[in-house]
Amino acid sequence: MTEQTAQPPRALRARLLADYVPVKPLAAPMARALWMLPIAVITLLAAQLVFELRVDAPRLGWSGTWGLSTAQVVLGLIVVTAALREAVPGRSWGRAATALWIGVPIAVVVAITWASWEVSPVHLRGGWYFVGGLCIAGSVVSALPAVAMASVLAARAYPLRPAMSGALLGLGAGLMADAGWRLFCHFSEPAHVLSAHLGGVLVAMCLGSVMARRFATNP
Amino acid sequence: MRDESRLRALMVSYQAGHFESFDEIYAILAPVLRRYLYRQSRDATRADDLVQETFLQMHRARHTFDPSFPLAPWAVAIARHVWLMDRRTASRRPWATADVTEMELPVRAEASSFADRTEVRHALAQVVSPQRQAVIQHHILGLSFREIASRAGIAETAAKLRSSRGIAKLRSLLSEKTREHGHD
Repeated sequence: MTEQTAQPPRALRARLLADYVPVKPLAAPMARALWMLPIAVITLLAAQLVFELRVDAPRLGWSGTWGLSTAQVVLGLIVVTAALREAVPGRSWGRAATALWIGVPIAVVVAITWASWEVSPVHLRGGWYFVGGLCIAGSVVSALPAVAMASVLAARAYPLRPAMSGALLGLGAGLMADAGWRLFCHFSEPAHVLSAHLGGVLVAMCLGSVMARRFATNP
Repeated sequence: MRDESRLRALMVSYQAGHFESFDEIYAILAPVLRRYLYRQSRDATRADDLVQETFLQMHRARHTFDPSFPLAPWAVAIARHVWLMDRRTASRRPWATADVTEMELPVRAEASSFADRTEVRHALAQVVSPQRQAVIQHHILGLSFREIASRAGIAETAAKLRSSRGIAKLRSLLSEKTREHGHD
């Protein structure tokens, strides 16, 4: 090898010195994920404040409505934390962990869907595509602010796999948005919830991946 | 272990604004990174270039280092990324690694004072690929370092480093040739 000296090359040293300023170390991923809390709360409340609480809310009870949605928001925040950790060099998740971070939240959404259906089965009888489109669009639009905010937080780190950290933060943001949207949507039919609501979460995941790649500053 | 805790302390000091810490970080970490990158690339000069690029990226990402974790995995993760990006760039631009001995190249006037075009081409062929590309693109095709950097997917400074190292290597090869002609 050509350079075995312990001293850094002068050109490299000069280059680093040219834009050298003290920096504040990045806070822990969990602390940074807490910046998402206001957006998470607004997302949780927005749909039912703008529209109304789902008609079967009395049957589902507090735990079936606000309880499960709050749990889903917390899960979303945890997934965003995982995404922010993924964005730090040397702290990327392995394949198995990544699969769990994606698989477990999806399984939780499926479980919440079945639990709601078991307690209060409300069929979607007509306007399948219209209602489905509305729920997908609503979930995605309400996820957008959270996706954007999380993308900025991830870009402030140094994601070496921006597509992966973006997908995770999009998933987290999608879960938060869907937690609010499920409080408004009157239909608990699994075919509708899993296609339109979970579909919205997956679209948010793809959006997060695309946005994180665009925001990433490293080559 | 002793090195690791020393490295963490040095990195914290580097984050806090003590640039002198960089020299010691480099002294401890450069051989580790060089070994890692050499294992990946099997090319000593390329590994040296990639070490420089890794330190540039580490400098940019210095705010992400968390002192409660070891420095080496953080640095090696960045080195791995630099290596993967370099490999991806090389695979995407096969034209840049074409056999330069076959290329018709315009040579600057001053080159004729110590070598003819054939000798320049042969010397150029001996310069390692990334440096050769930078020299050809900047000094022959007239691209700016910014353009070269964006084509290769590297930092502008890394493009400058590659070009200046390529020119230095070229100069030394051509000087050797001139000396040989002198002895003849």
